[in-house]
Amino acid sequence: MDVSNLSIREINSLFTKKELKPSELYSKVFENAANSEAALHAHLTLFEEENIKKAAESDKRFSSGKSASLLDGIPIAIKDNINIKNYKTTCSSKMLSNYTSPYDATVIEKLKEQNTLFTGKTNLDEFAMGSSTENSAFGLTKNPWNTDYVPGGSSGGSAASVGARSSIAALGSDTGGSIRQPASFCGLVGFKPTYGTVSRFGLVAFASSLDQIGPITKTVDDSRIIFSSISGEDNRDATSVINNQLDIPSDNTATIGVIKELMEDGISDEAKNEVNKVVEILKSKGYKVKEISIPIIKLSISIYYLIAPAECSANLARFDGVRYGLRVDGKTSYEMMENTRAEGFGAEVKRRILLGTYALSAGYYDEYYGKALQARKEMIDEFAKTFKDVDYLISPTTPTQAFKSGEKTSNPLEMYMSDLCTIPANLAGLPAISIPTGLSKDKLPLGVQIMSKPLSDNPLLDFSEIIEKEVQFDGQPKGWL
Amino acid sequence: MSNEFNIKNIAKLASINLSKEEQDSLSNDLSIILEHVNALSDLKLHAQQQEIFIHPLEKELELQEDEVKKSLTHDEAISNAPESKDGKFVVPPSME
Repeated sequence: MDVSNLSIREINSLFTKKELKPSELYSKVFENAANSEAALHAHLTLFEEENIKKAAESDKRFSSGKSASLLDGIPIAIKDNINIKNYKTTCSSKMLSNYTSPYDATVIEKLKEQNTLFTGKTNLDEFAMGSSTENSAFGLTKNPWNTDYVPGGSSGGSAASVGARSSIAALGSDTGGSIRQPASFCGLVGFKPTYGTVSRFGLVAFASSLDQIGPITKTVDDSRIIFSSISGEDNRDATSVINNQLDIPSDNTATIGVIKELMEDGISDEAKNEVNKVVEILKSKGYKVKEISIPIIKLSISIYYLIAPAECSANLARFDGVRYGLRVDGKTSYEMMENTRAEGFGAEVKRRILLGTYALSAGYYDEYYGKALQARKEMIDEFAKTFKDVDYLISPTTPTQAFKSGEKTSNPLEMYMSDLCTIPANLAGLPAISIPTGLSKDKLPLGVQIMSKPLSDNPLLDFSEIIEKEVQFDGQPKGWL
Repeated sequence: MSNEFNIKNIAKLASINLSKEEQDSLSNDLSIILEHVNALSDLKLHAQQQEIFIHPLEKELELQEDEVKKSLTHDEAISNAPESKDGKFVVPPSME
């Protein structure tokens, strides 16, 4: 038995029974990192030395029976767009390569209260803009299942780290699928909670009405433990909501909808087969399953690529060479700003800032941004109507298995299409989870996505756990332990 | 929807100094993306959905009390500045 393969609850049980020490597990995940980092490049920074003392403190708490937290001594990796005090937060951008955070994000404060051990900061697409972690200014991350392939993105480093067991779990952020898509590509569980249930304070903003922090884990239960630890209303995030969970059924009295528009053209047969496989299992367990049509889903990419860039162009205006980050000299302040932003941002970030600037500019605002907002509202209403009829919606997480490094870098639109199934949950603020269900013929993981109505995260996790147990996906990338 | 845009103007608005090469390639990319998002122009919207939407869960914005709360110290706030003097950010002149 390799302890880094265990779930959080299993590890906690060993800690409590004094059969394993947090410091031993901590050393083990760093051994795994030593075996995998050169090939995968999951982390931008590894924290080993700094946290050995904290691991020893966890040892003491367990040896004296004083630990009260399931996350005490659990090594967790953090996406490098989430601030940890006194550590760099680069967002994988040249713009922030020397930025040291003077404060903790709310999620970090909460994990520190639970005595979680951080393993390091993980690689991402620059400012979380991308679907393959190929947009990082600090090099590519590779898929632990096959290094010719991308790990997905933007939380690709977090997924690769959990996949290679150089952390037990990780935090990512999800604006259009950035937790669920890499989790699916790496054979893991990825959970995007209901918008507002997890504070965004301390997450470097990309598109504020869509961004949400969540876990990437080996099991659904691990995601549940982390979600319950990091959620809660926070007055430092004006969009945060009280996490009053709804009570909807997760047993076979629940009704499941298969989204017709996400089982059509553009979705591979392999991805559809995974959904059909799960549907058959659910039917055999007595669940009622029906096909549901939400036609506006077909416009998701169009709506998203107006709203997200518009918000990004406003959020990233703060990187001006004045208060933090890179500065490139110029004769005037304006020249300095233009030179700084030219040098500091990579191609994809520039593309989105320009697209958003255009969509918000005088004469085009109503035509583009205003129209996208209206369409988004229509989508929210359509989902609300659908959830009067069904409790959960099922679809593929991604249209295909992971793609090869370099395969989609020359065509931005083709890259954007890989988020087709995940974007609707962000636009409507829904909780959504990806569960690994099988392997493709190329031996790469495939997953299914389940969505439910806002503030039904807990039932969604319960329902997902039932699927997880029935599917029994126990695949694991080889060669890293 | 119209797809006519002047990449130099947009770059100026976004305060990004683009090379000629970047202007050409980004112009091309933006045309392709805008052509795709034009699908929205065919969408028939219901009359009651013309309002502008802010929060996906329709949470209403609440004003907070105007009170001093714990935040960064002055030194922390300025600790990442590319250039500072006497506790202030230093920038080049606004005009030559």
